Amino acid sequence: MEHNQGRRGHFHRGRRGPDRRGPDRRQGLPPEQPNRAERVERVDVEQIMREIRSRIAQRSGIDLTNQQIHELAARRLEAILDPRGLKPELLEQLRRSAGERTVSVDAAAPNAAESYPFDEASLYDSPNGFLRFLRKLFNPILRMLFNPTPIAAALAKQSRLNSELLAREAERDRRQSEWNALHYEILQRLALEVSRASIDAQSLSLRVESLGAKVDFNERRVRTMEGTQVPARPQRQQENSPSPAAPVAAAPAGEAAPQQPAAEGQADAPRRRRRRRRGRRGPGLGAPVESGGASNPSPSTDMAIDAEEGDADTDEGLEEEPSSQRMAEPAPLPVEDIAKPPEE
Amino acid sequence: MRLAIVVQRYGADINGGAELHARYIAEHLARHAEVRVLTTCARDYLTWRNDYPAGMDSVNGIAVERFPVDHERDEAEFGLRSDHVFYRRHSLNEELQWLESEGPASSALVARVRDAAGELDYVLLFCARYYHAYHAARALPDRAVLVPTMERDPALGLAMFGAIFRGVRAIMYNSCEEQALIRAASSNVHVPGVVVGIGSEIPAAVDPARAGARFGLHAPYVVYVGRIDANKGCAEMFDFFIRYSAERADAPTLLLIGNAVLPVPNHPRIRHLGFVSDEDKFDAIAGAAALLMPSYYESLSMVALEAWALGTPVIANAHCDVLLGQCLRSNAGLYYADASEFAAVLDRVLGDRSLAEQLGRNGRRFYEQNYSWSIVEQKYLDMFALLSSNPPSHRMEKLPGWLARRQRSLRPATQVLDELPTGPIGAVA
Repeated sequence: MEHNQGRRGHFHRGRRGPDRRGPDRRQGLPPEQPNRAERVERVDVEQIMREIRSRIAQRSGIDLTNQQIHELAARRLEAILDPRGLKPELLEQLRRSAGERTVSVDAAAPNAAESYPFDEASLYDSPNGFLRFLRKLFNPILRMLFNPTPIAAALAKQSRLNSELLAREAERDRRQSEWNALHYEILQRLALEVSRASIDAQSLSLRVESLGAKVDFNERRVRTMEGTQVPARPQRQQENSPSPAAPVAAAPAGEAAPQQPAAEGQADAPRRRRRRRRGRRGPGLGAPVESGGASNPSPSTDMAIDAEEGDADTDEGLEEEPSSQRMAEPAPLPVEDIAKPPEE
Repeated sequence: MRLAIVVQRYGADINGGAELHARYIAEHLARHAEVRVLTTCARDYLTWRNDYPAGMDSVNGIAVERFPVDHERDEAEFGLRSDHVFYRRHSLNEELQWLESEGPASSALVARVRDAAGELDYVLLFCARYYHAYHAARALPDRAVLVPTMERDPALGLAMFGAIFRGVRAIMYNSCEEQALIRAASSNVHVPGVVVGIGSEIPAAVDPARAGARFGLHAPYVVYVGRIDANKGCAEMFDFFIRYSAERADAPTLLLIGNAVLPVPNHPRIRHLGFVSDEDKFDAIAGAAALLMPSYYESLSMVALEAWALGTPVIANAHCDVLLGQCLRSNAGLYYADASEFAAVLDRVLGDRSLAEQLGRNGRRFYEQNYSWSIVEQKYLDMFALLSSNPPSHRMEKLPGWLARRQRSLRPATQVLDELPTGPIGAVA
């Protein structure tokens, strides 16, 4: 440390630790001393890997295990986008718009007419008349061997079931495609809204950042003002004893009051910096009194003076002074050494 | 003491993990006992074709007896049988047929082991999942000491191996994780077992600068040593490394040593050296910033042990329980489970030089304390002494009868495997 420089050297300081004896009086190293090298080499691989993994987790933002990621990926979309949770009119509107996109599943649905009407007569039916005759002729013999009626009934029932199932399947396909389109629509709108919200959030965060910078600037300015505030001196004291060591100095010639000669102010006294409190900028309480152009500096004049003094900062803080003093004394130079506020 | 080592292949030019393991053990135990090797004539582990002549042979001073393989492996048949026993309900007979199709089916080798009962004290059986180990264990159970070299493989879920794990005299495990897995699969706590692993022939002096000059290597680089195969996790490693180097201008070079089964990506930061000499391999490992071990399934990684012996940290696949456990127990390696961890770990090892050095020192200590040859040899000798001082306390279970073997009552092996515990065995307090 710099503040330690100039003190006595380390060789003068007392030995730290329990053993304060000199090297000639010390009896070798304590028993644990030889293991110091080993202790230094004791690397904990697990600890290092924990550090590495936590750093990776911090960098990636979220500390999710692989299992959690898989669970998130496997989560069903419906749990997030439940159409029943939406407003009825919105749902209807979406469904209508989705219906326009739905492909016509009716075209793909099987024709119910294709289902085969089945009864007992169709068992023996044939386009060939001779064959029909033979079947009719031998039908009693056939019936003697087995009973075709339950078979015909079962087949007829199966035929009817097939038709119903096909119709139901077609209806389900149609509904499914409608729901698919609806889900797509919802997802699309959701993605749009999320994108919009993220852009808004980004814009707001920039705005917050800008405002934060302004607040920070103002705080710094207040601190600077508080730290460099100079107590005002009576004018008489200045005139009688213009001590060079005094912090109050005469104003430059061009802006000096008539009571103060310009040469005196320039040659003897260091330039004075004075602050005025905020809120007194422009024509305030003493404005009518300070009628001279030189005694009522405008902000542009302030800046010009600042530039002349090597300080390009603007003056926003005006120090409040007693009105009588202001009347007697020329307006102080509003010099500030604070930074210019950031542009918005 | 007279020992026989039974292994599927044997030769100075065979560099498969278990085969090299068997050769190292044979050569080191030869200093303490009379050792002979019983093996097949096969050189290729995919076909088991009879390449070596049958009969007596000698490899590095060790007597070797080679026996012909009855039939080569039919890949299509083996695939179908594997599919059946791994994924469907099956019978014991179908498992035995699977073992026959896997090979190397050498009835002469099994007969030789059976006949050698009078001339051998112990038989070290390497690789439990192969034909020779199963049938030799059944032929000579009282003298059989198994070196399973099992990994988390569906074959471990086959019921026929349970009897072997419960019936041999002793088991020399490669890692704590392998021991835990086999004990959970077969309930063989009563069988004496010890975690041994294997040492390595680390040269006394390595010179990273020599490899750098020979291959034009510029530090930093990371190295992978072994067969470049998708089964070894190399495809994932390439993917992770390419993504990593795309994001960094100062990415290291990935050096690959070993034969490529998988096409090596054409990338400016990936260099494939192919098969190199042991000297070059050790030099390259010693000069690397880290050794990459992307394999998902390992019984014991000799390359990782060699890297630790040379003071090089290891970056292992966290999905491999054995490698993960070794990294935790040794405190000498980091691990990754995905691309982001791969990048972060690589950054850490490359960016923190003191950490890399500490990991390397820990690795060297871990190797010396657990895998130096004196320790490995002593563990084997202690086990033989233990077995000699105690009579066999258990017997090999008999095979079920003809009808029972044909009942499809066994669950799919993968289903059994899924129920086995996972995870590394942590550091011993």
